Amino acid sequence: MDWVTDFWIPVIKAIVVVLALLVGGAYMTWGERKLCARFQVRYGPNRAGPFGILQPLADAVKAIFKEEIVPHHVDKAIYLMSPGISFAAVLITFAVIPFGPQIDLLGRQIGLWIGDLQVGLLYLLAIAGLGSYGIVLGGWSSNNKYSLLGALRATAQMISYELPMGLALLSVVVLAGTLNLNRIVDFQGQWPLIVWQPLGFLIFFIAILAESNRSPFDLPETENELISGFMTEYGGIKFALYFIAEYTAMVVNSAIVATLFLGGWKWPAVLSNLHPLAGVALFLAKVLVVLFLYVWVRASCPRVRYDKFMRFCWKFLMPLAWVNLAVTAVIVALI
Amino acid sequence: MATDLGAIEAQLNQAFPGAVIDRDGDWLVIEASRLPTVAQYLRDEMGYDWLTHLSASDYPDRFEVVYNLYSSRPDQQGPGIPFKVRVPDKANPHVPSLTSIWKSADFQEREVWDMFGIRFDGHPNLKRILLWEGFAGHPLRKDWHEPYYEQEHKPFPSRWPHAQQPKPRSAEERVRWRANVQYPQGFDPDQWKPVPEIDVLPAAKIDLNGLETDQVYVNIGPQHPSTHGVLRMIVGLNGETVTSIYPVLGHLHRNHEKIGERNLWTGIIPYTDRLDYVCPMYNNFGYVVAVERLMGQEVPERAEYLRVIMGELTRVINHLLAIGFQFNELGAMFTPMIYAFTEREHVLDLFEEASGARMMVNYYRFGGVARDVSDDWLKRCRKVVDRLDRKIDEFDTMLSDNEIFIARARGVGAMSWQEMVNYGVTGPVLRSAGLKYDIRKVEPYSIYDTFDFEVPTFETGDIYDRYRQRMAEARESVKILRQALDRIPARGPIQAGKKPWNPKVPAGELYSRVEHPKGELGFYLVSDGGTNPYRYHVRSPSFVNLGALEAMSVGHLFADAIVILGSIDITLGEVDR
Amino acid sequence: MLEMAIFSILAVVAVTAGIAVIAQRNVVHSALFLLVHFCCLAGLYILLNAQFLAMTQLIVYAGAVVVLFLFVVMLLGLERARELPDPRRYQWIVGSLLGMLWVAALIWALFPQAAQTAPALTRSDNVRQIGAALLTDFAIPFELTALVLLVAVIGSLVLAKKKLEG
Repeated sequence: MDWVTDFWIPVIKAIVVVLALLVGGAYMTWGERKLCARFQVRYGPNRAGPFGILQPLADAVKAIFKEEIVPHHVDKAIYLMSPGISFAAVLITFAVIPFGPQIDLLGRQIGLWIGDLQVGLLYLLAIAGLGSYGIVLGGWSSNNKYSLLGALRATAQMISYELPMGLALLSVVVLAGTLNLNRIVDFQGQWPLIVWQPLGFLIFFIAILAESNRSPFDLPETENELISGFMTEYGGIKFALYFIAEYTAMVVNSAIVATLFLGGWKWPAVLSNLHPLAGVALFLAKVLVVLFLYVWVRASCPRVRYDKFMRFCWKFLMPLAWVNLAVTAVIVALI
Repeated sequence: MATDLGAIEAQLNQAFPGAVIDRDGDWLVIEASRLPTVAQYLRDEMGYDWLTHLSASDYPDRFEVVYNLYSSRPDQQGPGIPFKVRVPDKANPHVPSLTSIWKSADFQEREVWDMFGIRFDGHPNLKRILLWEGFAGHPLRKDWHEPYYEQEHKPFPSRWPHAQQPKPRSAEERVRWRANVQYPQGFDPDQWKPVPEIDVLPAAKIDLNGLETDQVYVNIGPQHPSTHGVLRMIVGLNGETVTSIYPVLGHLHRNHEKIGERNLWTGIIPYTDRLDYVCPMYNNFGYVVAVERLMGQEVPERAEYLRVIMGELTRVINHLLAIGFQFNELGAMFTPMIYAFTEREHVLDLFEEASGARMMVNYYRFGGVARDVSDDWLKRCRKVVDRLDRKIDEFDTMLSDNEIFIARARGVGAMSWQEMVNYGVTGPVLRSAGLKYDIRKVEPYSIYDTFDFEVPTFETGDIYDRYRQRMAEARESVKILRQALDRIPARGPIQAGKKPWNPKVPAGELYSRVEHPKGELGFYLVSDGGTNPYRYHVRSPSFVNLGALEAMSVGHLFADAIVILGSIDITLGEVDR
Repeated sequence: MLEMAIFSILAVVAVTAGIAVIAQRNVVHSALFLLVHFCCLAGLYILLNAQFLAMTQLIVYAGAVVVLFLFVVMLLGLERARELPDPRRYQWIVGSLLGMLWVAALIWALFPQAAQTAPALTRSDNVRQIGAALLTDFAIPFELTALVLLVAVIGSLVLAKKKLEG
């Protein structure tokens, strides 16, 4: 067994990616505040450093030095564990996403992805399912009505929206003929899948908005009714973990959208062939575009009411996803 | 301006011989024991279906409970019937409750019980509303004194009569801690335990056709992101459906009315700023109009125009802000709210220049306004009005067709105007349900009768209609503002006669109302001819409108209840007073 | 060697979690240990090169079944359940009989000649084969399973509907 190829390189890649995700998540909070501010005709954070660029750092320092409060009516072990579960689930999602081509580094061929899983797409679904535990358990263990209501909503919402999300992914699989994300990116060398699957893209985007509890589907939080939903009882670094998990989830989800529908690092091939790092830049640019969509939606839409939201999933989005899948399958079979 | 009280008195005397026992100025005095039957008759036979104001006052030999009835019938809108009931038994005052006839009596009777200790027989839930259960005494009685009581009323003698003394002595210094606190007999503050709240909650089981489930009570507030201040609501939920809402008020209570009675007539004006802190100008307006009616004071033309301009600017920003907050409650992440605040800033700049303050303006005076404005101010005001006009259109474009908003707002919180009248609901909320009733039209004050404007109405009174109503009213206000800016006399006095710093107001008693942006703002004033009001009561639109919250919300979802609360548009400074 | 280490860790954690599931008094904790157990099983599947199975394990059991367990536990007042008499008084007899049967089956399975084990997977890209097998050789069992699930869905709908109407 070659320790360097089989152990050290993946470990180093994983560490680099995790660090990048942490920074990305932290700066997503800054980016969102800045963007929202612009949508709302104000400046946003601009005190800490130029353009408020050090704001995430200041927030982190503040969160870390806050007093750790554990309310005494909580289920302590689960209460402390939940933010970690949330955060971990987000981080490991990125393991199968290719963010660049294979590069030569110090005489070794290194693929810019962590794991080249044959069933990468299923892995995404599986981890998405696990992600809800952090929220459910956090809400339940807080022993607070607001938290519990938030947790129940989160559970129902995440289970429900996994279905249209899975169906949208199936259409991708039918077209690309593989579950491997590297193959799917290769498949999009000519045209990104959004060209063939515009409806699938929309369904998937709506579903991940719901999966990551983002406005207009931020029902587990709904500050206007549930104060902070499942994180009402959390403060300090535990709250910060939830918070950064949410923003890192946005980054990761954007990466998934970019990989599956926008051509990943590959499309357009003219640009990504120039230099291996051009592929990485393309990938990042696409992620940023999707992130901008996230913020745009948040700054302009009111929240959907819970019952309407579930009805929308089961009575509209699901049938639509089925039709989309069936049409895709028939066309693929005929051609 | 009063109704033909003589005719009404004659009619009542015919129907109930001996029920009207006296005539006290503009007020009919009705025998207490026959109050419910007379009230029922007034409502059902004579069409005076609207009890907007109910309060009381304390005289040395009696209590008086006063009522103001108005009518929603198009032919007798306008002046209503003021009547009162005398309660000579000061030790154990009782009055029949009118809650079975008017739901609007519910909160107001509770307030009177709270403040005066007058029991309303037949009231279903006669508990303190602004103070807490267990509070000693009833603070608006004349014999109740606050802990650092100094004098019956201002002007107080100097706290520093001998200037040689090293420092002024405050009331807190002169009065030892606890020395001036009144306790009930046998009360020991150290042994006091709060009265458990559990008795306000009805039985906590729901029988769901044999499936027994728990009633969940969720406590919203007093610290909650969307209660518009320190309002607390105990919401009973079955699943996520609201089964009951019990508002707990008074977290911001400061006994505005007692402060008013201690204060000089002029000194109350800045206090009215603090009632509805979103529309301080209009609170000034309402109070000043009331006192001027009592004094018979005339106002010069330029001052009237300035008053209307300030008032209508206030109305526009109040409505825009209400819409912005409404969307905030719908989860639109502050964007419309901050747009509304941007517009408010421009208006506040104008207020600041005219009055010296942005929020606590203290601008109106008896017989005029505090300061004149420059021609340049008027020019800029016109610019702001044009801008507001554009911005209202912009709001309309951005919000009116938003599908999520329509899905959440249509049919939610709807109530017929008849029911709203019964609950005493006034203002945009009432008009959105279809009743064309605007005090500026039906009982014009100031110079509103010279302006050309419409009273918009909508049909269902749901949240969407309330939104459209506010939009339409803001447009009408812009119309009024344009006319006012066109016609305002270029020069002229802004104050009739000398600036009165401490006027004496002729003895009298009246209830005067204006169309505040949130509804009917009424002032009930009793003067004994001195420099202070003998009784000063604020009938605040938010407080009475809040009484309809439960009826509007039951059966809707938890999320909707919050939005309905927002659509009623309350300000806690005014609710709690 | 790395594989052996991973296997031992997963195996120990899986067994411990399995025991903890039945040893815990708190139902939510039990459900969580079940979750840990399922995740370990998924890990073992990956070691066996059965990636598809591992992911399905996670999606179905960890992602849906345990969440539903938790959902039920949260919605039901557990404090109340303790006051009720245990309706399963004779369960332990049936339970121990079934347990003995299961142990016997395990011992029998440990003898190599008793049953032929399937050949180990060599390729991990076997989604296509699984799909083909399910829709050709095993089409009837596959469809029957779908039918059972459909019946379950209709049954729960009928039950829920009855409560709402009644």
